[in-house]
Amino acid sequence: MIQVSFLIFVALLGTYLFSRAFQLELSLSHFRSRAGFGLSHTFLVDYTSNDSRWVAYFTGVVNTIRVCLVAIFLTTILGTIMGVARLSKNFLTSRIAWTYVEVLRNTPLLIQIIFWQIVFLQLPQISEAITFGDTTAISNRGILLPWISDNGGAQIWFIFLGMVAVGSLFISYFLNKREDESGKYLSLAGKKLNGNLVGIIFFMIAAIVTFFAFGRPVSMDIPEIIQNNKGTWMQSGGFDLSPEFAAILFALVIYTGTFITEIVRGSIQSLSRGQTEAAEAIGLSKYQAMTLVILPQALRSIIPPLTNQFLNLTKNSSLAVVIAYPDLFMVSRTIMNNSGHALPVFFLILLTYLFLSLCISLVMNLINRRVTRIGA
Amino acid sequence: MTTPKINFREIKDWTVDNFFGSKLGILLTLFSGLLIVYFISSIVSFISSAEWEVVSINKRLLLLGRLPAEDTWRAWPILWVFCFVFCSSIGAWGNPKKRELLLLLLAFLMPTAIFFSMSYIVHIFITIIIGSASYISSKIIRRTLYLGILKKGLVSLWILLIPLAFTILLVGGGPQSNLWGGFLLNILLASVAVVAGFPLGILMAVGRSTKLPVIKTACTVYIETVRGAPLVAWLLLAWFVLPKFLPNLFGLNDLSVVIRAMIVLSFFASAYIAEVIRGGLQSIPSGQLEAADALNLGYVDKMRIIVLPQAIRVVIPAIVSQFIGLFKDTSLVFILALTDLLQVGRIIPEQDPKFFGRQIEALLVVASLFWVVSVVLSNLSSRIEKNLGIGTR
Repeated sequence: MIQVSFLIFVALLGTYLFSRAFQLELSLSHFRSRAGFGLSHTFLVDYTSNDSRWVAYFTGVVNTIRVCLVAIFLTTILGTIMGVARLSKNFLTSRIAWTYVEVLRNTPLLIQIIFWQIVFLQLPQISEAITFGDTTAISNRGILLPWISDNGGAQIWFIFLGMVAVGSLFISYFLNKREDESGKYLSLAGKKLNGNLVGIIFFMIAAIVTFFAFGRPVSMDIPEIIQNNKGTWMQSGGFDLSPEFAAILFALVIYTGTFITEIVRGSIQSLSRGQTEAAEAIGLSKYQAMTLVILPQALRSIIPPLTNQFLNLTKNSSLAVVIAYPDLFMVSRTIMNNSGHALPVFFLILLTYLFLSLCISLVMNLINRRVTRIGA
Repeated sequence: MTTPKINFREIKDWTVDNFFGSKLGILLTLFSGLLIVYFISSIVSFISSAEWEVVSINKRLLLLGRLPAEDTWRAWPILWVFCFVFCSSIGAWGNPKKRELLLLLLAFLMPTAIFFSMSYIVHIFITIIIGSASYISSKIIRRTLYLGILKKGLVSLWILLIPLAFTILLVGGGPQSNLWGGFLLNILLASVAVVAGFPLGILMAVGRSTKLPVIKTACTVYIETVRGAPLVAWLLLAWFVLPKFLPNLFGLNDLSVVIRAMIVLSFFASAYIAEVIRGGLQSIPSGQLEAADALNLGYVDKMRIIVLPQAIRVVIPAIVSQFIGLFKDTSLVFILALTDLLQVGRIIPEQDPKFFGRQIEALLVVASLFWVVSVVLSNLSSRIEKNLGIGTR
């Protein structure tokens, strides 16, 4: 009875909303027309303002994924280090971690993004760039890092390397399993060879051999800052970490890191003290106790809230709009403004973020399943 | 009883143990020491070169935004009423420790020190008197039999606080709502969102945990959709699309942007609050439900009398954290071209060429205001958690 009346209510509301919605332009056909705006950051996609709106949109999606992936990777490391540091017996270290959390968790992310942008724009001008032995150059046009460049055939080499990596993972897995089951292991000159080590050595040898076999497909690309004949300073080569990208990256990493710190701390504290004492009793060093005993167990209660933080990070990356980093949200907003058809573009934004969230949840669920299975 | 004596040996042992206990310890001490020295030196060099004029001549703008000067008085009664309710509540419920009172005092003094000006000395004085008087009087009432009445009165005052604030802002031909701004706007937006989102959140949480498939699906879809997109996207929806979906009644389709932001923030908050309350619902032991069934209570009564009071009690700290998150997120209304605190902080250094390069000062003041409110609230939330004995059962 309640359900029926509720259904009628929803149906009425739905009809009203749809009747309103159908008065608006609902198709995405205008996405095929020329975009007509430039984007300051393009990555993997060759985008010019003459391309269609779809291409612009995908450039934005790629930019979002790029900043999110790097940020998730870095913030996990930062959060774990800080979480362990907060529980350190060393007074100074634990105070630093405490201050970090208390100060930065309680200020809005938006302020932090703007702060980092101001900081990066206040770096010295390109003519007075800070350089580290010709490898890295820091100026207000961005941070130039050495990168690899393609000499032809790099793509094939990378695909080959991927296959080799899978192969070496397989070798390590096989060797480790054999050692677990039968106690046999490879040895060289009387020394035991760990399965992981064999895998890494195999990978390195294969990589070096193929590097020459493919005729040196990649080389180092060293950044350069030169003054051309008109006196303007130019930067070329290397990997350009632009101020906008660096600002959104730093802010996301540092802000999300505070939450991860608290998650890691809470999970470690929830383990019984007996675990630390037992690790001490069997003679593990502090580092070994942390990496072999404490963290693997804490990981079980870390991963579900960590997933949540990764999702928050992905959604928060939309704040890049404030410093004009052309992510998914900013590009969609520009398209919205230009075309005047807001509703379909909004649904596109919604679906894209849902899709990204689903991907993250899926990967994290796989990891979670693996983590909870060990020793359970 | 012996008088506590400073034991130098103990201090020395502690120091050695802490800082130079092992190789790793020495390394950590050195590294942390270097970090601290670096931060302190950069803070000192910043402060020695900082000029705060950009903030001091824009105090009113930061706090109240574009609210006209002749309406500035409206902000004070709101502060006083809030101060009265807040301080009496601490007196009536809390047993604040000295450390916490000190924190509160500091939290009060910091904005006062930043935004102090001689013309408002009387107002600040009144605030202090109201605060301390209401705290002390509720402490006294606490020892009498009228405590129950006081608590009920305070609860209803808390609920009435937002309508009261609106009345004060609008009474007697107040300024248009799109002139509200600055810190006032941030606080108003966050409070309205949480208070309006709370009932809807409860409904959604109950709906999601029922066994009725239609209601359950609808609530789940609502919650997950709202949580799926970032807040800026929803605010953008309020900007572009919301007016086209509102009926052409009572001028509803011509709402001011501030009200639209409040609507969207309320819906946004409700989805997150629903998830928090659902967690609370799940924490109710099934014996409670069975007991309610044994008493032959209907579903509504069971929820209203047995389940929800317990569930909400458990999740109060989590809701305070949601409020903190939402409060920080109110800075996103820049997307609606509203001049909230952060937006003012970004604009003021650009007004005058002599403030060029003084953005960090303005930003720091803005950040400190957000920070003070968040820290006070998060202390409050952990205090409530301790008082309710959650997690220590």
